[in-house]
Amino acid sequence: MSQEHEHGLPPKSSVSRWFLTTNHKDIGVLYLITALFFLVFGGVLALLFRLELISPGADLLGSMGYNQAVSTHGLLMVFWFISPFAFGFANYLVPLQIGADDLAFPRLNALSYWLYLFSGILMGVSFFQGTTFAGGWTMYAPLNTPAYIPGEGLGATSVVLALIMFTAAVTLGSVNFLTTMYRMRAEGLRMRDIPIFSLSINLTVWMMLFAFAALLAALMILASDHILGTTYFQYSIDGTTMATDADNPGASLLWAHLFWFFGHPEVYIVFFPALGVMAECFQTFTGRRLVGRKWFIISMVLVALQSFVVWMHHMFLTGINLPIKTIFMATTIGISLPFDLMVFSLIYTMAKGRVRFTTPFLFSLGALILFIIGGITGVFLGAIVLDYQFRGTYWVVAHFHYVMVAGATALFGGLYYWYPKITGKMYNETLGKIQFGVYFLGFNLLYFPMFIAWETPRRVFVYPDGLQIWHSMATVGGFILGASFLLMFYNLFVSLWRGEDVGPNPWEYATSAEWAVSSPPSLENFPGVPSYATGKLEFLDDETVAERTERTPGAAAHGHAATDGGTATDGGAVTARTAVTATAMETAHEVGGEDHASHASFWPFLVSLGGFIAFLGLSGVRTGSVFYLSIAAVGSLTMFGSLVGMTREPFHAPEMAIAERWPFSEVEKMKLGMWTFLASDIVLFGAFIGSYAFVRVAYGWTAWHHDLIPAEHVTMPGLINTYLLLTSSFLVVLAMVAAERESKRGTVAALVGTFALGVGFLINKGIEWNHLFHISTETFPNGWNLSTNIASSTFYLTTGLHGAHVIIGLIICAYMTVRAWNGAYQGDDRAIEYFGLYWHFVDIVWLFLFPLFYIL
Amino acid sequence: MDWKGYTVIYVVLFVFATAQAVVEFAGLVDSAYWAAFGLIMVLSVIKAVGVAAYYQHLRWEPRAVTYLVLGGTVAALALTGAAAYSIL
Repeated sequence: MSQEHEHGLPPKSSVSRWFLTTNHKDIGVLYLITALFFLVFGGVLALLFRLELISPGADLLGSMGYNQAVSTHGLLMVFWFISPFAFGFANYLVPLQIGADDLAFPRLNALSYWLYLFSGILMGVSFFQGTTFAGGWTMYAPLNTPAYIPGEGLGATSVVLALIMFTAAVTLGSVNFLTTMYRMRAEGLRMRDIPIFSLSINLTVWMMLFAFAALLAALMILASDHILGTTYFQYSIDGTTMATDADNPGASLLWAHLFWFFGHPEVYIVFFPALGVMAECFQTFTGRRLVGRKWFIISMVLVALQSFVVWMHHMFLTGINLPIKTIFMATTIGISLPFDLMVFSLIYTMAKGRVRFTTPFLFSLGALILFIIGGITGVFLGAIVLDYQFRGTYWVVAHFHYVMVAGATALFGGLYYWYPKITGKMYNETLGKIQFGVYFLGFNLLYFPMFIAWETPRRVFVYPDGLQIWHSMATVGGFILGASFLLMFYNLFVSLWRGEDVGPNPWEYATSAEWAVSSPPSLENFPGVPSYATGKLEFLDDETVAERTERTPGAAAHGHAATDGGTATDGGAVTARTAVTATAMETAHEVGGEDHASHASFWPFLVSLGGFIAFLGLSGVRTGSVFYLSIAAVGSLTMFGSLVGMTREPFHAPEMAIAERWPFSEVEKMKLGMWTFLASDIVLFGAFIGSYAFVRVAYGWTAWHHDLIPAEHVTMPGLINTYLLLTSSFLVVLAMVAAERESKRGTVAALVGTFALGVGFLINKGIEWNHLFHISTETFPNGWNLSTNIASSTFYLTTGLHGAHVIIGLIICAYMTVRAWNGAYQGDDRAIEYFGLYWHFVDIVWLFLFPLFYIL
Repeated sequence: MDWKGYTVIYVVLFVFATAQAVVEFAGLVDSAYWAAFGLIMVLSVIKAVGVAAYYQHLRWEPRAVTYLVLGGTVAALALTGAAAYSIL
């Protein structure tokens, strides 16, 4: 196939293809392979500490080695394996299932992947910086701060920065998936009708959008404690013992709140894609539409919402008050109810259908069984009185592995299920079933004894001698589980060459749209423009699309269809005849000349490489090392230069000519992407402001101002900055008005004014900060800087984050001013409007920072 | 909206910002802290809604965009409110 037909991409056999690609299927494959690498990485660490636990004592890894292995195993599996593995499938399949030719922002998708990969590499590099992070995967304060980390702690800082990079990747991915699913569904495809896997991904990315923003806030604050010397999570040392710092009594609880506000939705972020895979496999291999599909979906929506109001059940043993514990016990136990419904739906689907015990089904069924055990044992932990007993023991370890690894089990089923679609080859079914048997045996031998040995204290390598037999069994189970993956890798690798060729649909009753096209699908995915307007999948040719576009410009037809598990009117029964509703290979052709534009870009890789180098440098800047300072500078310049290159690169990803876009039909995709990003940014700033409010409440709200803030910290600089930002916002809307009127001079003048006022804001802030840094009073003889007290930390970091947003806005504004000077935007003010959305948001944030940090 | 409408909004925002500072300059923060707190925060909320509704054009966008923004706001408020309440 020529490069022109491949959208400027080299062939798949070329290494350069994989660095240049922005295609969702390529990136899906990259995610899958990378995630499996991190599975092996985290798995080997687990085997090491299981060996350590054969006897109670740190005689193999040493105490610090054990702590590092346990901590990074958790981090790698939760962050770098399970979710990215699910998003490998999501990348590959969601556009196919909803009828899109790619994600809404293909280069952003590539950027997400490369940020993910380099964040994992940074995590790996941390092992070589003395020691890596060793304070447990939950990173509780104060063990996550430099004062409590042995040695220089540079490896721990790298882990925090790696997590920030990973979170950035997740946020970009969430924005991308949501925009895609709300702007690029095939004509006639209602949200409720999209295949259940894609629906599970939709709800997952909603949770990710908000939950990861809170994690990002927590990590940025922690990174600031590491690098800048703020004191959010610090305790003071009272002689030789730890003591709660009288100046910051909320330190430890603040971390717990921020982490678990993210952490509990994260459980469902991990598990929802697995539920989607299970539902798809149950439908396909029972030949039944999911029983109670509507209620299954409603249950998922309920869980997604409720997941944000259960987080304090992880904090029952902290000093939070009893009323809030009681409320969160109720919400936690309540969240098990929709899960019950989903479990019964899957069981009933199985009971009503004719089961075919293929490898994907076995993994899905196995996942369901394991999840039921994990779910029931989790309810124990939701009850306050039982949690007092079980918290910090192996009961928790066993429970969450039965939940999280149950999710992974379903995803391995998904790997077998979609392997023929991705590769065009069939795996060895017998070997697959053998692998399932070994896997299931190993899993239960590994984790079930942990319930019996529940009195083992979590995170430490000593335990009562009487429990040794159970730990030995678990270790044997761990190695059996590990060995099962060798079978899987062998099977899937060898099948790439020896596997039987498959057609579009190797499964008799698979009905979602990916099974209607070749295996693997072509670069454009479909042989025409997909449409469900008639109630079944069709591929439209150019003429039909043109006709419909003229008839209803920008709008879709109103037909609808069930897209998985049979039609909406067949009562749930699926027949092989209707399984694949259309193939239409003979109509294969390109739609519109624009589709031939190059979709190759090296910039996402370079931006991420720059970010990796910059973050590696940042991990060591507190040492003053020239090496670390230099690479921080080089990395930052590389990243900035690459971002400019990416902005200037011509890259065309047009909106679909006809598509289903409810409820955002009037919101162009770039605008929707910006709004979605801003929704995440609201949570980021909300978590920063929430952190400030929390530590201030912990200290004493009104005493805070008198005890911790110097009299020199006055209102006027804040008021002047409020005026500057409000006026700059006003000028942005005037720039829009001028662009609409095609007044180049007016557009440029308004943008220059915006830029000048933004710079004025920063200068005013710089003067204010410099003054506060150098005051010398009786209470603050050494100035009021980032490390002086918790009030100064919150002031500088929160307003600093806002200042960073202003700087980013100014860079964009400068770029747009130059473009406007060259004649851009006249008669088309959309770009200025999108920039304005960001700039006004920065303004809004300041409208709250000003009173909170300057008046109250 | 034309430039006149935007200008009216700007003047209102400017006046409200000044009013917040006046509350402090008048000594209300010292004499009646929680009343001043309530007044100042209400003014901030009104300003924020004004910027979002008119400068960000939320008023003219489909309601779904407003719900999206409210989703993030509610999440942030839930975290802040529940966390602060947990230690009261």
